[in-house]
Amino acid sequence: MALIAIIDDDPDILDASSLVLKSKGYNVITATNPNDGYKIVKEKKPNLIILDVMMDEPDDGFFLAQKFRKENIITPILMYTSVSKAIGFEFGKNEMVPVDDFVEKPISPDELVRKVELLLHKVEEKR
Amino acid sequence: MNTKKKNILIIDDEKGLRLGAQRLLEEEGYIVETAESGKTGIHLGISKNYDVAVIDLKMPDIDGLEVLKQIKLTRPNTVCFIATAFASYDTAIQSTRLGAFGYIPKPFTPEELIYQVELGVKQRKLIIESERLKKESEENLLEIAYEKSRLNAIIKSISDGVLVINRVGEVVYFNYAALKFLNISELKIGDMAIQRLPEKIIEIIKNILSADKVLLKTYSIQIELLPNNELVIEAACTPVPHPDGSIAGVVIVLSNITQFKKIEQIKSQFVSMVAHELKTPLSAVQGFLNILLDDSIVVDKEKEKDYLKRSVVRLNNLKELVNDLLDISRMELKTKQREIEEIHLHEILHNTVQLLELELKKKNISLVSTIEKDLPLIKADQNEITRIFTNLLSNAIKYNKIGGKIIIDIFTKKNYISIRIKDTGIGMREEEQKKLFNEFYRIKNDLTRGISGTGLGLTIVKRIVDSYHGKIEVESIYGEGTTITVILPININ
Repeated sequence: MALIAIIDDDPDILDASSLVLKSKGYNVITATNPNDGYKIVKEKKPNLIILDVMMDEPDDGFFLAQKFRKENIITPILMYTSVSKAIGFEFGKNEMVPVDDFVEKPISPDELVRKVELLLHKVEEKR
Repeated sequence: MNTKKKNILIIDDEKGLRLGAQRLLEEEGYIVETAESGKTGIHLGISKNYDVAVIDLKMPDIDGLEVLKQIKLTRPNTVCFIATAFASYDTAIQSTRLGAFGYIPKPFTPEELIYQVELGVKQRKLIIESERLKKESEENLLEIAYEKSRLNAIIKSISDGVLVINRVGEVVYFNYAALKFLNISELKIGDMAIQRLPEKIIEIIKNILSADKVLLKTYSIQIELLPNNELVIEAACTPVPHPDGSIAGVVIVLSNITQFKKIEQIKSQFVSMVAHELKTPLSAVQGFLNILLDDSIVVDKEKEKDYLKRSVVRLNNLKELVNDLLDISRMELKTKQREIEEIHLHEILHNTVQLLELELKKKNISLVSTIEKDLPLIKADQNEITRIFTNLLSNAIKYNKIGGKIIIDIFTKKNYISIRIKDTGIGMREEEQKKLFNEFYRIKNDLTRGISGTGLGLTIVKRIVDSYHGKIEVESIYGEGTTITVILPININ
């Protein structure tokens, strides 16, 4: 079964997301800051990365995603967003943002699982 | 003025006539003076401002017309009559030319003289009245000219730009601020100006000028003159109507709104930060609830209880955040009713410590406080000072180690009271200390994980201290502890 890395500074979000994904049979590893996140991705080479857009600093999730892409880590990234709608910043222009899809918090188990399955399926097809 | 007796001068070489006229006119209530020759007549007529003079034409020394001429030269408002027995058409014309008001043929009856003098007095009144009006209107004109130049000076010196253009687009009026904003180096009244304005303003002006009806409405537009909001102006264009209602032109007022824009930006940043901070705990709680409600996910009893407990913690945190935000907004609006009274700091400290007793025990933290003897009272709002102690002490507990210490010193130094709170906690790095008072800033590292907070506690402390013109100092060594000192002036009101 696929390995998924979740990087988010909110331990409650980490726990809830892990439980949802584990209940569907996925293996999950977690990190609570960009540095640790980078490390687990480099070491464990997950099949999918779930990344919060804002951890210690606004947008540091973005910068981590850019760092992965620069280092040719092409693992699909699902980004957790929180106030994108509230501040009028709409994601979706993928050419600017090096991530594959977005999930707006709060997380709904159905949506999370659906998007995870979709991204993993795409990777399979490419192979 | 009207009731004042009128002054009459009679110039005649005939004694009988002179004295007769004098008596007659004095009986009528006039003040009468006489001269027996042309020479004295000129002398008197010039030296005093008579209302009416009656001058005999034929006198042995000086001719009456010459006397008339001399008097009129100095006293143009004295109404003069020429009296003569040798009436001729020529002398009548000549005397009128020299400024005589009338002509009294000799011999005259008393009634005739009185009638003529009355006419003269009326004429004199009219002359004086018209003189007064003339003077008044001259003064008014001066006043208007002065007002106009003053208004001009005011408009020229205001920091807002003013530019008036007529309906064909020529400049009718402008001040230098307008040129500065529009980056126009030279402009003369009458120059074609419309094309030299920013595109957006031209459009508005064209709309105003081409409208069928003049609507006295102001059309405003914001224009970014320098990128990154470094210079933003607002242009307010208002039609100027003729008295008949048709359009005469447009007045454009340009104001610098850069500062306003900057504040707006800070505010909108703050709002999005608040939105983020409010949504974070909500998302966590909703995430847990979604899982608990989802039948396809199996959660054991223990985990279920854990999730519910953690949800309560997050909701409590959210409630604190809302309270902190309300406090901040009250402080900003200054609507908070301050109750300034003399307060005892040791009482406030004692009460605060009691309130936090449970937290101290939980982490087995010992607290030592030293308060200077005979500490002066300070004038302040009890709630605000309590808030300073609560926020600082709860931080000293939250970020302390198990079994740590808190040392409190309150002492005076010159005109200030220092409140020093030292903990043996986890401390801060230098770069973290710099951001300490920023809204929502919370230090995130391995040592702070699991410590909840709103990120507003120290922001609130700082704002309260600032409002009392006090100072706040931070010393900290990472891993060893933090000392925060609040310094408040003693005679604060």
